[in-house]
Amino acid sequence: MRILIIEDDALVADGMRRGLSQSGFAVDHVSSAELAEAALTQENFDLLLVDLGLPGADGFDLIKRLRRGGNPAPVLIVTARDALADRVSALDLGADDYLVKPFALPELAARCRALIRRSKSSSNSDLSIGPLRLDISRRETKVHARPVDLTRREWAILECLALHAGQVVAKDRLQQAISSWEDGITTNAVEVYISRLRGKLGDDVAIRTVRGLGYRLDESAT
Amino acid sequence: MDRARSGTIRRRLLLILLGPLTLLLSLGIVLDYSAGMAPLQAAFDQALVNETLAISAQLRPGATGRIEFDLPQQAIDVLRSDKDDTVYYLVQDAAGEVLGGDGGLPVAANPRANPAFRDGQYAGHAVRAASYRVNTPAGQATITVAETTHKRLHARRRLLTTIILSDLIQLAGILATVWLGVRIGLRPLLSLRTQIDSRSARDLAPLDETQVPGEVRPLTRALNRLFATVRATAQGQLQFLANAAHQLRTPLAGLQTQIELLIQDPAAAQLRAPLTGMLNGTRRLGHTANQLLALARAEPTAAAAVDFRELDLRGIAEEVVARQFETALQRRIDLGVEAAHARVGGSAWLLRELLDNLVDNALTYTPADGRVTVRCGLEEGNAARAFLEVEDDGPGIAPEQRARVIERFYRPPGSTGEGCGLGLAIVDEIARAHHAALSIGSGANDSGTRVRITFAAA
Repeated sequence: MRILIIEDDALVADGMRRGLSQSGFAVDHVSSAELAEAALTQENFDLLLVDLGLPGADGFDLIKRLRRGGNPAPVLIVTARDALADRVSALDLGADDYLVKPFALPELAARCRALIRRSKSSSNSDLSIGPLRLDISRRETKVHARPVDLTRREWAILECLALHAGQVVAKDRLQQAISSWEDGITTNAVEVYISRLRGKLGDDVAIRTVRGLGYRLDESAT
Repeated sequence: MDRARSGTIRRRLLLILLGPLTLLLSLGIVLDYSAGMAPLQAAFDQALVNETLAISAQLRPGATGRIEFDLPQQAIDVLRSDKDDTVYYLVQDAAGEVLGGDGGLPVAANPRANPAFRDGQYAGHAVRAASYRVNTPAGQATITVAETTHKRLHARRRLLTTIILSDLIQLAGILATVWLGVRIGLRPLLSLRTQIDSRSARDLAPLDETQVPGEVRPLTRALNRLFATVRATAQGQLQFLANAAHQLRTPLAGLQTQIELLIQDPAAAQLRAPLTGMLNGTRRLGHTANQLLALARAEPTAAAAVDFRELDLRGIAEEVVARQFETALQRRIDLGVEAAHARVGGSAWLLRELLDNLVDNALTYTPADGRVTVRCGLEEGNAARAFLEVEDDGPGIAPEQRARVIERFYRPPGSTGEGCGLGLAIVDEIARAHHAALSIGSGANDSGTRVRITFAAA
């Protein structure tokens, strides 16, 4: 997985580059929007980490131009600016997530994995979260290489949780994921399927309950 | 300012106009009275003259060469018949000799006027007398007819009453017209007042200058200038904070990642303990920097430039709980949410910051295996008031400490953890910016802490 860091602060860029390399990513670094555009015409990246406050053209301009040029790579903004206006306009322009400095390296790595996983899900590749492995195209589930037999609705819920592993998924959203087969499914039904999934997947795959909100599939940070 | 100066314009105008108007109307009364009284007096006098003429027809030269005067009783009765007044008469010759009638009656002896008139007293009453000189073949005679003044007094009184009454009605009418006119005239001013009254304290948009009369335009212009200054100050403050945030956080991010990498580096294994200390220190520094920036941004000078719009507290509650879930999990605290829809006008960014601080506090001070719940919704029985609260089952805040914990940098005695004492100060400041009330109490069963933000009724 290739990541391009666009960051003008050398110390931060070095820390991010080394940290993400240790997490198994291939990382390149440029210090301005102009250099980033040049790099993007040469090679493909699976994820861009963009600082908003760049010298010359800033992060907003870069994201705007990339999206206008049809570049589909997910963008994670890593910035010291956290005002609402920045957050809204960056996400409106086509950024996918937002991380405010200072951050912990495991948090950065987790966000990167989540963004790449989501962008790859449309290409029907495998999803791998800790010991759990999902083959999206064949709808096959394995835990520690042991096949697990899931019903269609159980699969739909697990797929939704896996695509957002490490993030809380609202119960309403899980309900929507299964309601296309059958109308009038209550949120209680979601609880039933979650309980069955926990039984089938075993203790090594942790689906947490977030009281009053939804569920989260743990992503073991590496 | 004294009372008259600070009173309403309507009142002032009425007070100013009342004096001159009263004076003018009093003058009017005098003029009307004298103008009305003159013809009345003339008419009454003419009636007296007519009677002297009637009597003069009865004078004839007598055999002795003197004037003879013979008035039949019937004629006397006609003469004296008056339902209001007593009528007297007196006939004298040129020498003043009484030829007949009531002797001693005052005579209007004015050689230049014929008839002549005078006021006088007769038989203890005020009388008005008309004297008329006639020349008969037997010489000159003077006929005087007098009457008491009841009729005249009555007429005068009626005239005066009518004039005063009509002038008072005029005064009232004028004052009412002024009052109404001022009211209508001041309508643009009142609509300006309503415009200012009804806008939220955060609204710094310029007032519409085209809708106000020329006299008030300098005032609205001054207000608009003031609004613009406040807006510019707030925006400058926000810009400064954005720059400060950038300058503080970027090196902190560099430090923190580098220390994290060093801790993982096998070559630095012996330095792990001091490096971990450095990492914690850096994290606390980052936390404090974030808190200070948040506090500065929530202060009125900066908050005035923050965009307020209608939003649902439920979305914010769920977002913050989702974000803090990992922290709660690491501390083995059951973090949950009980959220109902509750729409308020506010800044999503500031409210998120507020709730982040409340949840952060709860997670910091609640021991492992504890329970923290975020709630929002509409208060029971008072559906218009939205609330947002966080309840934990930790050690709680002693009642005597509750007022102090919102002070900046205040930390209750015996408190542990990484807090810098700014969390509740931020919460308080953001609540104020939203005109919401902050209350600190205990949770269910009188244990733990419950912090509630109650928004003003929509």
